[in-house]
Amino acid sequence: MRTIRFGHRSRRRRALAAGSAVVLSLAVGTGVGTAQPKATKLPPAKTFNVALIGSDSGTNADLGTWDYQGTTLAAAYINSHPSAFHNVHIKITKFDDQGDPTTAANLAQEVASGHYDLVYGSSLSTDTLAMMPVLSAAHIPEVTSGQSNAILAQGDGYVFLNSAPSSIYDATLAKYAFDKLGDSRVAMLTNNDSYGASEHTAMLANLTARGLTPTDDEVVVPTATDMTGALSLIAKANPKVLFLGMEEVQSGLAVKQARALGIKAVILEGAPAATPIYVQTAGLSNVVGTIVSSPYLSNTLNAQTKAFAAAYMKAFGVAPELHGAKAYDGMMIVATALNMLKGKWTGPTLAAAMHRVKYTGLTGKFVFDSRGLGLHATQIAVINNKGALVIPKNAVSRPSK
Amino acid sequence: MTVRRGVAHLALLAALLALPSMLGSFSVYILDLALVYVILSLGLSMALGYAGQVNLAQAACFGMGSYTLAILTLKTGIGYWGAFPLSIVGGGLLGLVVAIPSLRVQSHYLGIVTLGLALSFTAILTNWPLTGAAIGLPGIPGPTFPGANFADSSAYYYLLLVVVVVLFALATLMMTTSVGRRFKALRDDSVAAAHSGVEVPLYRIIAFVLAGAYAGVAGALYAGMVHYVSPDTYSLTIMFLLLAMVIMGGRDSLYGAALGAVVLIIVRQEFVSLQQYEQVGYGSLIVLMVVFAPSGLAGLVTSAWTRLLKLAGTAHGPSRIRTLAEGSVDGLGVDARAAALAPAPVAHAPVTDGAPILRIVDVTKRFRGLVALDRVTIDLFPGTIHGIVGPNGSGKTTLFNIITGVYAPSAGSVQLRGTRVSGRRAYRVARQGVARTFQGVRLFHSLTVRENVMVALDASRPRSIWRYALAPWLVLVAERELRRGADRHLARYGLASVADFLGTNLPYGQQRLVEIARAMAARPSILLLDEPAAGLNSHEMRDLAGLIRHIRQAGTTVLLIEHNMGLVMSLCERVTVLASGSVLADGKPDAIARDPRVIEAYLGVSAESAIEKSFA
Amino acid sequence: MTQFLQTAVGGLSIGTVYALVALGFSIVFRTMGLVNFGHGDILMVGAFLTATFFTSWHLPFPVAIVLAVMVAAVMGFGFERILRPLERSDLNLMLIGTIGFGIALEGVAQLIWGSIGTAVPTPIANTPLHVGGVIISPYDLLVLAAATFVMAALYVFLNRTKAGIAMQAAAMDYDAATAVGINVSRCNGRAFAIGAGLAAIAGGLVGPLVYVQVSMGSSIGIRGFAAAILGGFGNIPGAIVGGLVFGLIEEFAQGSSYGAYTDVITFVAFTLVIMIRPTGLLGEQTVARP
Repeated sequence: MRTIRFGHRSRRRRALAAGSAVVLSLAVGTGVGTAQPKATKLPPAKTFNVALIGSDSGTNADLGTWDYQGTTLAAAYINSHPSAFHNVHIKITKFDDQGDPTTAANLAQEVASGHYDLVYGSSLSTDTLAMMPVLSAAHIPEVTSGQSNAILAQGDGYVFLNSAPSSIYDATLAKYAFDKLGDSRVAMLTNNDSYGASEHTAMLANLTARGLTPTDDEVVVPTATDMTGALSLIAKANPKVLFLGMEEVQSGLAVKQARALGIKAVILEGAPAATPIYVQTAGLSNVVGTIVSSPYLSNTLNAQTKAFAAAYMKAFGVAPELHGAKAYDGMMIVATALNMLKGKWTGPTLAAAMHRVKYTGLTGKFVFDSRGLGLHATQIAVINNKGALVIPKNAVSRPSK
Repeated sequence: MTVRRGVAHLALLAALLALPSMLGSFSVYILDLALVYVILSLGLSMALGYAGQVNLAQAACFGMGSYTLAILTLKTGIGYWGAFPLSIVGGGLLGLVVAIPSLRVQSHYLGIVTLGLALSFTAILTNWPLTGAAIGLPGIPGPTFPGANFADSSAYYYLLLVVVVVLFALATLMMTTSVGRRFKALRDDSVAAAHSGVEVPLYRIIAFVLAGAYAGVAGALYAGMVHYVSPDTYSLTIMFLLLAMVIMGGRDSLYGAALGAVVLIIVRQEFVSLQQYEQVGYGSLIVLMVVFAPSGLAGLVTSAWTRLLKLAGTAHGPSRIRTLAEGSVDGLGVDARAAALAPAPVAHAPVTDGAPILRIVDVTKRFRGLVALDRVTIDLFPGTIHGIVGPNGSGKTTLFNIITGVYAPSAGSVQLRGTRVSGRRAYRVARQGVARTFQGVRLFHSLTVRENVMVALDASRPRSIWRYALAPWLVLVAERELRRGADRHLARYGLASVADFLGTNLPYGQQRLVEIARAMAARPSILLLDEPAAGLNSHEMRDLAGLIRHIRQAGTTVLLIEHNMGLVMSLCERVTVLASGSVLADGKPDAIARDPRVIEAYLGVSAESAIEKSFA
Repeated sequence: MTQFLQTAVGGLSIGTVYALVALGFSIVFRTMGLVNFGHGDILMVGAFLTATFFTSWHLPFPVAIVLAVMVAAVMGFGFERILRPLERSDLNLMLIGTIGFGIALEGVAQLIWGSIGTAVPTPIANTPLHVGGVIISPYDLLVLAAATFVMAALYVFLNRTKAGIAMQAAAMDYDAATAVGINVSRCNGRAFAIGAGLAAIAGGLVGPLVYVQVSMGSSIGIRGFAAAILGGFGNIPGAIVGGLVFGLIEEFAQGSSYGAYTDVITFVAFTLVIMIRPTGLLGEQTVARP
């Protein structure tokens, strides 16, 4: 049973705060690089208060952890380069919303009545939707990696997605798997929570646009841990591709059980499949060949990601993945906007500046439209036999028959 | 006392009015939240605390209220206040659906069934396009009122406060009068309640609907406050929190329920500083409260208050229920007043023409192949005292249960004044003038002697419940009438001095008397007494015999199960002997006493059972 | 037909787990009159213990489970002391008291194991078996075998050993059991320990099938409790039947074209059965109230 909670919780990982002088020698994005003031005389120090709201416990606790790590790493970088950021210091306060929209709404109220300049979070669309009315009334910009189109539909000028919505993830998947590889026997397994439902809608639209119908379209509840019922129906249709739309743990379980039922189809999935938890839950041998659509594919993609991964590893002792990278980008976008404002901001001016930001980060090019959509493309990768994401040349390695 | 109470209420209200001006906006928001939970908690307290219905669907009804409001405002343009009453109806309707299983199952069975239905409700919310599926419905408008800006949490606080005060007053009115008394009666003993004329199934449904309607109000107000609904909000976590509020507040107290809600919301807010120990703290707090203060916060406050008053030298605590230590009672108390004892005339005109008032015709009752009664035929003539005797297990109590509607007969029928009553529900039979007592005394243990009688005396029907909302003064007038009637009735039985005692605190003999007084309160035409002399001493037994004769003289026909043959022979005009479920003999007492079959069968077995008893 | 059998196999597999959970509920209830809503959280602790022994300490899976059961059983004795004031008390107090106990247990588990949880690898080679067109996972067979063994052992304990018979007696008639010199409170401690052990076995076995995390107990706990009620509360064979039937209903609901409405179908069906047979499929065996 989940329990609602109010308030924040500082993570056990204080290692970072102690060694906060983590100096990242990486050129983070064009925005930051060019806006760097030359003057050596610093303006008076200002604190920029960020409320990090996310699930730090419960089923989605991993998301909260990644958000925390990504944003703190960015903040450490910004704070250690006062000359580059008009002497603005980022202070992050963590709040645990338990993955529960009621708690999220309460926290939004707490944040709105305090002195916060920005809310980062939550990764869950429902929590974001619960917070939006409060935050926009208080003129506090919100950076979220929620992925539901409903957030964009409510777009109030104060919400900014540092991730692409399902429609973009799935369009990329469809283009590669159906157009390039020509797979047409597709089965779908999604859950019916906010993430699963939006994935379901998006993928079905992509199939329909190509005149395809899924060989089987199964929906399970997000709490289902035993999906043999649905999977045995899928097995009967013998698909070549199995599209998954569910969070990382459930995805992992689904793949594990699918393989136990003898389903050999290639797995097709968005962001959850790009996480280590997916691989760990399913077992490596089961996920080899999974086709992933993600804006962040590899820690070794380029100099920028390599530097990020090294700093992340140094700070937290683990390699970063998609969500940490998204969180890092999210904070850097805000820093870019602050620079555009020369380190002087109010809620409305910051929101307006963020709408003008052009930023290329770890996960791609960001340009925000009026609804708050910033990232307009994702990329394709395949999980190799070491559990790493690799960009396929043209062919896909499939699990051996 | 009432003056002091009035002053206390005014002071509390003044404090509540002044509160927002002393607090920051987030604290006021937390108060708003607390007030929403007070409404939920009050509703649950009525169903769970007062009526004893394990209702784990209160959070679902809360959701129903919010979603009804959200859908109506977003999809029909009906406006907040237009949708508001429909949200209450929505909550009540879901309460009605959840109530259906309560007609068949109770206790932990009812708990898991209502929990399952609540999970089903959430599953529907998560899938239905109309409810926005898992995403929920954003952009719900808030209430509007000329001159008020409800986006401000202080303004919303006053709106909530008005609603809470009205709903609290309504709940108090209901729980301290007819509805609440019946709730407690059916919670304490649903069988005895039915035999006292309480429409048990109907009142169970009322309990669920009331709780649901309160949750509907809370849901509508919550939706207008946060402007967004999603299925996760109405989860089991919230249900368990509500449960903790009601139980930890004090189940028999609306103040307790309200206090529990406010305290838990604030405590949980404060527990935040415990960080990762918060959940351990919250869980442990609940366990400690339940173990060390099972009567809840209300109980703690009451006992602290009593201690305080004692220190201040005031004689009585705030409780109007007296305990034995405070008063003195000597014996049954009937003897001296027996002469004055004159039960009120019966409501149903006594039949004087020699036709039987009650006919038991060929009644057979089987329990899974075991034949408890086998073609039993007995005629009960008006104005008689009719004895039923027989060894243990001969089917006497089963017969009573069939007459009063606890069981339907497997075959045969029971006719009251020529009309078939067998198979009817117990409360209907009771309302037709058949009252009873039980083998072991079954008083409503949380009710005073007066309230026990008031339950049976109360002639108001569930359909008059509209008065609570529309004409509360009528309820108060009726209540005063009822109280006077009960006091008059108790005086006839010499029980006036113990009217404010909890029935179960009285000596056994007096409990019997209270039970008979309760049975006679509705002026029945037939009274069924099941071993009334059991456990009485000879002095008390003589009183009892006098009482039964008086009851008969006043026009009530008496059917009496009794083991004490002396009592039966001296009291009864007619005796039926049952053995192994069938009628062994039927006739005048002296004829029965001489019947050799009776002597052999009855005494033989009875002697054996006497031996068994001495070894048990 | 193959599809039907396939679904049935899946239902029996998860049903076995529910049956183990239901047994734990029932044995505690019939012996001591306690409805323990924290049972699911004891299962969670058992799952974490097994996961720790198996994946961190690298013990063989059966050893890990046995160790977890022993630890859980010892804890069970302690829990019984904590919850003793609630035994045979008012249901509402029991309800919220044991829920509070479960919340505290979750909190402690979160302190020890963290909130993210852990994946447990399948302990045996899990190449699917094909039996007449039906695909069976070997691990499911292992679960089934282990559960059958546990149930048989429980039966032998309750009917063939002195301690077990004493527990049965305490369940049937508290006063009589006390009168003939049975230490009823020791029986209660044993019953709770057995209940906790059963929960730990269920948790350990279910670990590789699901993802082990702090909040896992709630969902399995509720279904296990419903299964116990469905079969007849306090009834040992009833718990097994209830668990299997509940698993089957759920699996068929999930395999139907209304998979998203699994919870609705399952719990409405459950409600209907309970309304038709208020004491469960095999009848309730309640404790004799003292």
